[in-house]
Amino acid sequence: MGSEEGENPDSLERFCPTDEEIEKWMCSAFEMARDALENGEVPVGCLMVYKDEVVGRGRNEVNETKNATRHAEMVSLDQVLDWCRHSNLDTKSVCEQTVLYVTVEPCIMCAAALRLVNIPVVAYGCRNERFGGCGSVLDISSADLPHTGTTFKCVSGHRAEEAIEMLKTFYKQENPNAPKPKPRKD
Amino acid sequence: MEPQTKRWKGSACDADSWVPYPVLSDEQSQDVELVDAFAAPITNKKATSRLVRELNALYPLSGLQHIKRVRACKDENGPHPLQVLLCLVSDAPDMKVVSIDSLLPSDGAKWEGLGEPFVVQIPAWPPLTRPQFELASRRWPTSFHEDKQVTVALKGELFGPQQKAMMHLYMMAALTAAKAAKDLGMEAVGAVVVDPEKEQIIAVGHDCRGNHPLHHAVMVCIDLVAQSQGSGCYRFDSFTACSFTSPKINASNPEVGPRPYICTGYDLYVTREPCVMCAMALVHSRIGRVFYGTASADGALGTKFKIHSRKDLNHRFEVFRGVLSDQCEHLNRM
Repeated sequence: MGSEEGENPDSLERFCPTDEEIEKWMCSAFEMARDALENGEVPVGCLMVYKDEVVGRGRNEVNETKNATRHAEMVSLDQVLDWCRHSNLDTKSVCEQTVLYVTVEPCIMCAAALRLVNIPVVAYGCRNERFGGCGSVLDISSADLPHTGTTFKCVSGHRAEEAIEMLKTFYKQENPNAPKPKPRKD
Repeated sequence: MEPQTKRWKGSACDADSWVPYPVLSDEQSQDVELVDAFAAPITNKKATSRLVRELNALYPLSGLQHIKRVRACKDENGPHPLQVLLCLVSDAPDMKVVSIDSLLPSDGAKWEGLGEPFVVQIPAWPPLTRPQFELASRRWPTSFHEDKQVTVALKGELFGPQQKAMMHLYMMAALTAAKAAKDLGMEAVGAVVVDPEKEQIIAVGHDCRGNHPLHHAVMVCIDLVAQSQGSGCYRFDSFTACSFTSPKINASNPEVGPRPYICTGYDLYVTREPCVMCAMALVHSRIGRVFYGTASADGALGTKFKIHSRKDLNHRFEVFRGVLSDQCEHLNRM
């Protein structure tokens, strides 16, 4: 691994998680998603793994924080940054070798954020038809954006039906924080 | 520093040095798409209404309700001052030679009064803006349901002097924050969230990328708004130029009026066009309107994408560019 010191991302081989790894880490991601559902948040959970070590985990906490950007990926990225600080490691060189496992395709915002921190590979469960940033609404993961970090590769489909079912369960409920629709004035 | 300060003050008084222009959707700003159609001169003017009726029955031009069937020829002194659309080329039957007989089923004297057919290009979609309407009408007469506000906005006349004075004030606050960020060694980008109804600044933020790679000015502001609502998840106390104010509440009756919900009803002023992450964060936050100074290379509110105007996303908002554009542009050269 000594050759990586040149910091040339092109020379870094784009590693791909094995089926076993996907199964193992996605299992934890689903636990995070379930925790979100139980706490009235959009059920998305994720894990960030660097050299076989979990360096970040997260689930949606939008309602809790009143900050609509607190998606699982953003929460987990904050943990990765903290971990890097504590381990005295450079964020970029860690992120360049970190895989994100997430139950739902990252949204447009998260996809751009993952590019900005140079995450190379994302394994996700189901597509995100509403906001998906890896092909469903826009393909930010591979778009030509020279000032927005690096592109990343996606591996999709693991336990997709289960991830969709959880989303369906959530969206059947009402959003208690949304303002009540105004009654029509005549 | 001295000349810069002077420059800023000088332009600060000049409200005419900048104009906010709307950043419209692709559909509203694209060129007029054309489609090939057959038309023919009307050789017997008295037959016009009968021919239009017969043609409407045979070729109804469905999906082209914006197109007028008959046009007056440019050459008014020509032999046949009126022309009529027969059908789209794509709807015409296969034929070896283009003629009235092969285009229209020969049915006695029904098509008398039509001259030799020819191909014209007509606008494929209804025009959405006045510039589109003017271009479309040059091809073939087109009806237009004008959105007056868009027309006025495209002329740069949507905002009066008082509104521009407020926009000036808010963008100046964003510029001050941007300079504070620059002084801290971060990117010179500043943003301000405003409650336009109460004319109150809710949050002032700037780029904090030195601390966190995703703390762009807009992301900082979104969390500051959450903090103004008693929540949020970061602390920006060490950045003195970042601040928030809790929204004004009706003092006599705090139950009156809707409780603030993320950025609903708020406007954002930001010195440069937001990136994809920030633009989508504003969609998630239900921002009301966005005003920015200058475009950015990977910008997502006009340059690379128009995330604010996508029909497939669940929230859309108006975007205006060019607010204090010179001063905002100047940040890039600091």
